[in-house]
Amino acid sequence: MFETAVFCVFGAILLFAGLRVITARNPVHAALFLVLAFFTASAIWMLLRAEFLAIALIVVYVGAVMVLFLFVVMMLDINVERLRAGFWKNLPLAVAVGGILVAEMTAILAGRYFGAMPSTEPAGYSNTRALGGILYTQYAYPFEIAAVVLLVAIIAAIALTLRQRKDSRRQDPGEQVRVRKSDRLRIVPMKAESHDPSRAADNAPEGANK
Amino acid sequence: MTDWLLSAAQGTFGQVWGPVVYQTVLNLVLIVAIIVPLMLGVAYLTLWERKLIGWMQIRIGPNRVGPGGLLQPVADGLKLFLKEIILPAKANKGLYVLAPVMALMPALAAWAVIPFAPDVVLADVNAGLLYLLALTSLGVYGVIIAGWASNSKYAFLGAMRSAAQMVSYELAMGFALVVVLMVSGSLNLSDIVEGQGKGRFAAMGWTLLSWNWLPLLPMLVVYFISGVAETNRAPFDVVEGESEIVAGHMIEYSGMSFALFFLAEYMNMWLIAALTVLMFFGGWQAPVAVAPFTWLPPIGWLLIKMFFVVSLFLWIRATFPRYRYDQIMRLGWKIFIPVTLVWIVVVGVWMQTPWSIW
Amino acid sequence: MLVEYYPILLFIVVGLLVGAAPMVLSWIGSLILGTHRPDDAKLSPYECGFEAFDEARMKFDVRYYLVAILFILFDLEIAFLFPWAVALKEIGFAGFLAMMVFLAILVVGFIYEWRKGALDWE
Repeated sequence: MFETAVFCVFGAILLFAGLRVITARNPVHAALFLVLAFFTASAIWMLLRAEFLAIALIVVYVGAVMVLFLFVVMMLDINVERLRAGFWKNLPLAVAVGGILVAEMTAILAGRYFGAMPSTEPAGYSNTRALGGILYTQYAYPFEIAAVVLLVAIIAAIALTLRQRKDSRRQDPGEQVRVRKSDRLRIVPMKAESHDPSRAADNAPEGANK
Repeated sequence: MTDWLLSAAQGTFGQVWGPVVYQTVLNLVLIVAIIVPLMLGVAYLTLWERKLIGWMQIRIGPNRVGPGGLLQPVADGLKLFLKEIILPAKANKGLYVLAPVMALMPALAAWAVIPFAPDVVLADVNAGLLYLLALTSLGVYGVIIAGWASNSKYAFLGAMRSAAQMVSYELAMGFALVVVLMVSGSLNLSDIVEGQGKGRFAAMGWTLLSWNWLPLLPMLVVYFISGVAETNRAPFDVVEGESEIVAGHMIEYSGMSFALFFLAEYMNMWLIAALTVLMFFGGWQAPVAVAPFTWLPPIGWLLIKMFFVVSLFLWIRATFPRYRYDQIMRLGWKIFIPVTLVWIVVVGVWMQTPWSIW
Repeated sequence: MLVEYYPILLFIVVGLLVGAAPMVLSWIGSLILGTHRPDDAKLSPYECGFEAFDEARMKFDVRYYLVAILFILFDLEIAFLFPWAVALKEIGFAGFLAMMVFLAILVVGFIYEWRKGALDWE
């Protein structure tokens, strides 16, 4: 009963946030509504007893992916008007694609989801441990594939964004720390000089004589 | 007592909503019981900071308001409360007001899973440590939103710097947490503390030597320093960098809205201290299991240890000059991450051998 | 399980309220006490006494995006490490080896970004 009420509240917030993501005029607002949407989605997963996934959603999507999104929309001046220009022209295609997506997801989830209840687990049951128990043994191969996908992503990200600037100067702290006195300072042995003008006059011919 | 309250609630609100009302009221009372001492802790941490740094610099520190300056935090709070809140004309109003709230919320909500003594914890969840990782990763939003919504150059620069810094150190923190998890085998903070009370030395009464700090010493160092960087404290305070970008993301804030950022920072210091103690220094356990040490109640030990860790934050601030930004990023990415990765492998291999102590 | 998460939900709500309440109270207080006196100079963005002569929201070095992308990738790695670390004592040597291979592949990526100079700041 109470659970249903909580679900309804979160569901309503999620729908509202999702709607605002696509209707907000300011891209930063849209990104922040997307954060809210992820947050409520996580709460709904929690209601389904998917403890690890719910929190991982926050760690990965809210904590990392959305930070990148915000970086991008905040730092690039996105022209909203130009983005909206083709809205009506592209609408039919977008609706068609969206419709197919919904149909596919219903086809996959309908049979299993409707009527299924969240499982009841014994006391002390840890979702995370259960996941760990099979992910690294039974599903080891897909798991290693995930590592390769991440590796490709690292290389692609660097290849796409890294541009060495010619005019930049960098310091190497390691080198700075390793510096010794002898690298920077040269001690030159020389004779004492006097700045006393009367003596200076005396000294000059002496030096010349030698 | 609690049974009676539950049945009373059921009598008033019915079988279905009675337990809900009971749970809500009970938890709200407990939440207040956590927040009030926490706020006091934060208030007096500001005084302790000024006193301690004062002594370290051979000054007296605040000593005018109240006996020995003890009422100074009250005066500061009142001053901030009565100051005008400025809403800059060019700011994005809604987000500008939201930012301090977003900074404070994760700093507060994290305390829900902190155990203060055996079985004294508000939410005894299985995934406690994961929840904490999630909340720490939310901390960056307050800063980013503040910097962007202020629509001021200093604020924006500070926010971007700090966002990049915070995410970098979050990685090091996350990897350090993984090592703690490996040896404890549980995400529940109470279990992590209990796990440290077992072992060869603990059986001999030297609980102190069974705590995680000894076998995981490099992780302790990485975790603590990352914690200092994560809370944007000196020497990692380029975010605020008074001499370069004035106050970073907080520059346009005044009065109470500024105070919230301040509160969040100090609350995070306490939080990092609590986590360091729980994960590496045996939480509420007494260092030696003999008579005079066991007299103090568990929560007393926890608070004493937290106090020492928090003082370490202040000591660091009084000692080190500010890091340069490229040095900060280098430390996070090129030193901490490799060190933690190596230690994950070392501990992993150690645990596979017959000499495993866990 | 949900019973244990209910206090967390409440705590998050209370956290938001504790953040919002002082600001609202202080705002009301300043209206009553008459300390709320905005003027043009006070409301302009702080800029060392000058009029601001450019938009504050500027384009940033691409390096910041790179840090954010790399952060996502390593954060995912941590998300994979968490269940492994918790279950390590049960999954035995095979599970341990699986993660070592995973880490080895990612260390290759880490070395690549190091050698490419993606971790350098100037």
